[in-house]
Amino acid sequence: MSSTKILSLPRYRWPGGVRTSLWFLLIALICLPFADLEISSLDPWSEMGRLLQGVISPQLMDSGLIFEALLATLAFAFAGVALAVVCGFLLALAFHHTFIRAICALTRSIHELFWALIFLQFFGLHPLTGLLAIAVPYSGIFARMYAEILGQVPKHPEYALPAGSGFFSAILYTRLPQAWPHLVSYTSYRLECGIRSSAILGFVGLPTLGYYLESSFSQGYYPEVAGLMILFYLLIATKKVWLRRWTLPLFLLGAPFFMGTGLPIIWGNVGRFFSEDIVPAPLRSGEANWQSLADWAGTIVIDQALPGVWNTLLLSQIALVVTGLFALLFFPLINRYCFGVAGRFPGHVFLVIARSTPEYLLAYILLQLLGPSMLPAVIALAIHNGALIGYLTGRNSNEIQLRPDAPERQLDRYFYELLPRSYPAFLSFMLYRWEVIMRETAILGILGIHTIGFFVDSAIQEIRFDVALLLILVAAMMNILVDLLARRIQRHI
Amino acid sequence: MTALAIQSDSLGYGAQRVLEPVSLDIRTGEHLILLGKSGCGKSTLLNHIYTENRNECALIPQGLGLVESLSVFHNVYMGCLSRHTVFHNIRNLVWPTPARVAEILPLLERLGLSDKCFSAVADLSGGQQQRVAVARALYQQSSVLLADEPVSALDGPEADRVMSLLGQNFITAVITLHDVDRALRYGQRIIAIQDGKLVLDERAERLTVSTLNEFY
Amino acid sequence: MLKILLRGVLLMLLTGAVNATPAFVFTAIPDQDETQLKQRFQKVADYLQQELDTEVRFIPVKSYAASITAFRNNQVQLAWFGGLSGVQARELVPGSRAVAQGVEDPVFKSFFIANTSAGLSPADHLPESLRGLTFTFGSKGSTSGRLMPEYNLREQFGISPDELFSRVGFSGNHSRTIALVESGAYQVGALNYKVWETAVAEGKVDTSKVQVIWETPTYPDYQWTVRGDLDAAFGEGFTARLEKALLGMKDPELLNSFPRSGFIPASNQDFEPVRKVAKQVGLLD
Repeated sequence: MSSTKILSLPRYRWPGGVRTSLWFLLIALICLPFADLEISSLDPWSEMGRLLQGVISPQLMDSGLIFEALLATLAFAFAGVALAVVCGFLLALAFHHTFIRAICALTRSIHELFWALIFLQFFGLHPLTGLLAIAVPYSGIFARMYAEILGQVPKHPEYALPAGSGFFSAILYTRLPQAWPHLVSYTSYRLECGIRSSAILGFVGLPTLGYYLESSFSQGYYPEVAGLMILFYLLIATKKVWLRRWTLPLFLLGAPFFMGTGLPIIWGNVGRFFSEDIVPAPLRSGEANWQSLADWAGTIVIDQALPGVWNTLLLSQIALVVTGLFALLFFPLINRYCFGVAGRFPGHVFLVIARSTPEYLLAYILLQLLGPSMLPAVIALAIHNGALIGYLTGRNSNEIQLRPDAPERQLDRYFYELLPRSYPAFLSFMLYRWEVIMRETAILGILGIHTIGFFVDSAIQEIRFDVALLLILVAAMMNILVDLLARRIQRHI
Repeated sequence: MTALAIQSDSLGYGAQRVLEPVSLDIRTGEHLILLGKSGCGKSTLLNHIYTENRNECALIPQGLGLVESLSVFHNVYMGCLSRHTVFHNIRNLVWPTPARVAEILPLLERLGLSDKCFSAVADLSGGQQQRVAVARALYQQSSVLLADEPVSALDGPEADRVMSLLGQNFITAVITLHDVDRALRYGQRIIAIQDGKLVLDERAERLTVSTLNEFY
Repeated sequence: MLKILLRGVLLMLLTGAVNATPAFVFTAIPDQDETQLKQRFQKVADYLQQELDTEVRFIPVKSYAASITAFRNNQVQLAWFGGLSGVQARELVPGSRAVAQGVEDPVFKSFFIANTSAGLSPADHLPESLRGLTFTFGSKGSTSGRLMPEYNLREQFGISPDELFSRVGFSGNHSRTIALVESGAYQVGALNYKVWETAVAEGKVDTSKVQVIWETPTYPDYQWTVRGDLDAAFGEGFTARLEKALLGMKDPELLNSFPRSGFIPASNQDFEPVRKVAKQVGLLD
């Protein structure tokens, strides 16, 4: 009797979230054999040794120059983010228009380094290049997040307003005050991202920290590299000290004066860029026809876009899964049920360092150590994003209330309490991060891994901006699609 | 024979005193019911007993302490985590082992939950969730049960079935209830708490519903 | 906040406009270690400032394309280009001219170098055993580190480098190429012979780990290129004075920093071979 009952038992199925994760794992495993994950450097340890030696004997070159670079890094970040806050907020108010949504999706799907490369072509090394490279994509990001935050605010105060209160007054009096704390905390997080972006812009020539980092790195001056990195970490770690309510206006007012003067803008270049440079080559020459345009586009798609997209997909899917594994490993480091206050300290330090190191920089370092392949890129993406998601998940897991009779063994506690309780939040962080990882993967191509950024960089080096722009748009489309897909999956879990 | 000997200083949260000093002996085989208004300190006493005697006791806490994203099976299995190796626990989490399913399924059947074995706890009703917590305590097979309002979300007959199941399966039990009638039916010894003091400690057969109602 | 920002942007544009009063600015392709480049071109800037009696600034850039773009955008008026970057820049800026080149530049060459572990030995042609090895160019826009090596590889093997080697990279500059082949990150690389010779002479290369296995036939390479509209901006006869100053660099220390033994006149026509090769390889339309 009872045996027949057991037979009629429904088969065990993994929870929805686990099934989704397993699909991602399976895809990554299928990608593995196609990905080039070789350690091609003959002697990674000696290079690593030199780097570590640099770390224990950090050095700063000309301190005046570095101070200027530090100020410029902050200046670009503050001015760029501030401009984006204003534009993003205005766009958020009109976010229900499909057109606005599409524009925002496009601006944020193009990486700030790509924007910088675009602006460099007509503004040259002018502060405006750096300012807009941050402000344009961040406006799109802010617009979406602000719209989401404003949309989640309770509606009844607005509903209760007398008729004819007006759109702006209504927002000022009802939605904005309710959403304020969330808006502020998101903006502050984005400011930190802005500092990272600003530092990275130095890699393409703007006078921020990345400029000197790239120089020292490419020449193998590791003590200088270490000095600059430590400075950068200190800057981020002490943010709470120097960024106060009363210092904020000082930073904003001061920002325009510390971005360096660069070279003067010549406005004719702007017109030329839009009317000539980015016009597809066959249309520029006299005898333009559809056939030649199709041939042109076809060749680029087959020779550059497809291999670029393929490699970007391979790399980002593998990196996504490794990121997830890292995050699940990292988050107990700062969980109060796993370690005491003192025990969590090293975990916090590690996660702060790992998540404030931009993946572009990490990948650059690891490429020097391990040699050119997808492996350093995967590790870099996974360390940075794993630490970030690990931190968010860990913070989330600290809100869990364990029952008095929770398992005492650490592993039992991790697998039966912390992990299942944190998993839904973890998964939504991951899905949100998917698009970011894809965008970063594309950009890592500039470092020589054959993702789509590699082909964009090649086109720019060959002074073929029409090709570069087409490829950047392909990369943008990929990001938009992944973003849509991630949100679909999120709804279905 | 004494199963649990409780000696406590005054208990409370921070500076707030909830319960006066208590001295209490619970004999083996005794089913003790704690009665009192909400906030009188009975949960505090129960938690104190649990922290002092973790190893012998199975607990049904007030918040149930279920992991909602896991299945009923896994939540019940958690009652026995300490009896298996970590490796087995992880294996069983990834995919339920037939041996454990065979152990747990009959238990769920007696609680009317066998069809929910592999459902996520989040998908269950409040009453069903409470029965999962009961199943977890039963599966633990300790000699002493500490239960805080274990049937508060169940209707009459259901509640009685669960109470008698608990009564049969634990030699000794300390259960908080707010239903006087049910307390008299299932308890052998009744303790009433009022304003942080034990105001009554009596064999159940010497009490009536009306005497107990005074404490509410 | 908006007002502050607008004011800031306005200010930036204004300072930009103010700065537009001519300071003569030049740049160079970042073909080797930046510290070396800065030292070298700061000397050049000082020299030119003295000769021309105007403020002269050197602006370092991060990529070959950036130097071309700055030249094209008239943000710099003079540039030390490689063969390919010079051709690209002059195609984009009508009226611009190559005016001076190093004595060695008309007969420049590239070296193919290999890590000794690859087991290749010096020869008068590239060995068949190159197939399947890993290979690094210098910068994507380099003449001696990319264009000419790629051209020679295609000539000898009849296939693209991607098909020939198991892995093809771009180190970024000639100094990095030496470092990467020496460390074994790549087995084979190609670079500017001058950078190699200087590095060896200065003892910066471990020749037991990396050696030259082949040198390319000669081709024209580096040159100073000026915009055609200089006289309009800096006064009649400026270009002529500039040309004279460039050709008149005689200070041995200055020449050694390039390293060139002297400078000789150049014309756009001199680089026609580079343009043809670039078209053939597909780097120019």
